[in-house]
Amino acid sequence: MATKGWDEFEIGAMLRSFDGKAENIATTMQEDRAYSSSNSFTASVADWRIDKPVFHKDYCIDCQFCWIFCPDMSIISRDKKMIGIDMDHCKGCGICVEVCPTNPKSLLMFDEHIEDEVALAGWPEKDEGEK
Amino acid sequence: MAFDKMELRDIEVWDGNFAAAQALRQCQIDVVAAYPITPSTPIVEGYAKFEADNFVEGQYVMVESEHAAMSACIGASAAGGRVATATSSQGFALMVETLYQSSGMRLPIILNVVNRALAAPLNVNGDHSDMYLGRDSGWIQLDAYCPQDAYDLNFIAFKIAEDHDVRLPCMIHQDGFMTSHTAQGVKTLTDDEGYNFVGDFQPMNDMLDLDHPVSHGVQTEEDWHFEHKARQHNDLMTKVFPKVQNAFDAFEKLSGRKYNIVEKYDMDDADVAVVCMGTSVETAREVATEMRAKGIKAGVVGIRLIRPFPFMQIKEALEGVKAIATLDRSAPGGAPGMLFNEMAGALFNSDTRAALSGYVYGLGGRDLTKKHLVDLYTELQANADAGKVLTPLQQFIGVRGPKLSYL
Amino acid sequence: MLEIRWHSRAGQGAVTGAKGLADVVSTTGKQVQAFAFYGSAKRGAAMTAYNRVDDEVIMNHEKYMEPDYVFVIDPALVYTTDVTVNAKADTVFIITTHMNAEELVASQPKLEGKNVHTVDCIKIAQETIGRAIPNTPMLGAFMKISKMYDIEFFKENMIRVLGKLPQKIIDANMLAIQRAYDEVK
Repeated sequence: MATKGWDEFEIGAMLRSFDGKAENIATTMQEDRAYSSSNSFTASVADWRIDKPVFHKDYCIDCQFCWIFCPDMSIISRDKKMIGIDMDHCKGCGICVEVCPTNPKSLLMFDEHIEDEVALAGWPEKDEGEK
Repeated sequence: MAFDKMELRDIEVWDGNFAAAQALRQCQIDVVAAYPITPSTPIVEGYAKFEADNFVEGQYVMVESEHAAMSACIGASAAGGRVATATSSQGFALMVETLYQSSGMRLPIILNVVNRALAAPLNVNGDHSDMYLGRDSGWIQLDAYCPQDAYDLNFIAFKIAEDHDVRLPCMIHQDGFMTSHTAQGVKTLTDDEGYNFVGDFQPMNDMLDLDHPVSHGVQTEEDWHFEHKARQHNDLMTKVFPKVQNAFDAFEKLSGRKYNIVEKYDMDDADVAVVCMGTSVETAREVATEMRAKGIKAGVVGIRLIRPFPFMQIKEALEGVKAIATLDRSAPGGAPGMLFNEMAGALFNSDTRAALSGYVYGLGGRDLTKKHLVDLYTELQANADAGKVLTPLQQFIGVRGPKLSYL
Repeated sequence: MLEIRWHSRAGQGAVTGAKGLADVVSTTGKQVQAFAFYGSAKRGAAMTAYNRVDDEVIMNHEKYMEPDYVFVIDPALVYTTDVTVNAKADTVFIITTHMNAEELVASQPKLEGKNVHTVDCIKIAQETIGRAIPNTPMLGAFMKISKMYDIEFFKENMIRVLGKLPQKIIDANMLAIQRAYDEVK
């Protein structure tokens, strides 16, 4: 984009979502779609993150709260099963962690530079609370 | 097709408004979103009635303001329909923000502007204030001088605007009351002739093309805004003129009626010329003919295409003229007047060294009489004889009280 | 060029009358123009409408007119407005009134020495159409005075102009046109 001259783009400040024809787009998975270079899906905002969410599938009950609340559609869910996080588009806001209802939480925020394995190894125990 | 056709007589006695409404019917507009305002009301009222009576396969959308009217037109046009509306004066002023949106988004909307004065003081009559307000909005602007023009130019406007090399919205101007409410003989096209001239709407980047999803109305900041505006200006300056000429030629072939980007009357050997727009062009033509009988070589230049401004054609039309008057029907707000400035700009780098004087006239519907024009041509002849402007450069015609003049 | 000025009240149908006349004249191959001054644009306000007829396309768009004919379709306008403004020496006046020409001129000295014809279009309209819409009867009177067209030709064309109105209203208008044609003096 940045190298294009004034006469090299389509008129009307109009942007295409996909390269070529987009057939059956509703039933095509994101990773299989031919997103155009002007579609925000092809732009990574991963470098915005300071803290990152880490997903612990052992505690997840697939309630889909994180999927609903994520403002950047970065929770990847297939057949109503949470399978992971789209780390290209997650800005690290932490809302998914906030809304996660399990005990312990299935999503927690960690420093961006901590390895996922390390994070998972140090996952907290169930909080029994005050009796 | 699911709608009824209408039998028209070869010549119908129509006012400019009804002529425009009939043209919109014959072009089969998909969507008209409108907030009616005097004196343009009968155009959208006429379309709505045609639609209700099954003469159009389209949709009339009632909205809450002119801003909403043009906004709905933008939506419908981006969706991929043939779209038109009409407005005047205060309504046009309220529409201005969205005018820039539609041209920037390259949506070929047709707007019939029935020219009317701008308040304050409130006035429903015709002058060119609203037309002048729209002149930097990136639209194509065509000017009608009589009901026949208002009819014909609607067909021509769709042909130009919807061309995929152009894709710019287009206004058709007509003088409030003097054209819009004046009934004259209008030579008609049959429904098939009219529709076939504009052809089926050819969508481009339309949102209803679900296989090619697009985003319209995006944001660009200092990184891209300039390039988009440059592209739009480039297309106005280079692509529109030949397309307008092609449309005029094709229309002449169909109807025998000839339109020109700059209309020249008796200009071949003219010593003195009046440059004006709207109904005044025709009145001035009649007076010019009468002046010639008195030995004054008088001519008239009418601007048919106001934007993009026909700089080169104007230069050519005025070549060798000795004295020129520009007639601005809009309060210039502390400037010499739009036409005066444009003529000065066009002539400055030419060999024509004419005595150029500007006149402000007809505000709020004030009559421009033939007597005014006789006096004007007489004044111009004196300027031509002297080789310079003998009066102040800016004068008012037809205002009460002591004579007003400046510069 | 034939030029006509109508004096009317908004709502009495002068604009419709002027456009109807233009429509009929246009069918005979002549060029026409019909327009109006709307003024304050409320029902009952005094207003003027205009016709121009010529063999050539009419390019003159000035509102100023020195009329050949002046139609006054409301009786009070002879007193509250100047119906003689910009009149020529031979301008023909056709005025709606219950009076005869002598009585009318006596009541409005400005009409002294003018070519004045009278007809009671209001009464005719009330008795035929059932409402005080004096525009079509005025055209009947005009056909008599001007001898512009044969009255039957004119009525035939007005039936087309009135077009989509109910048959009863069209019939009443034809009666009104004929009565004014017969009664104008």
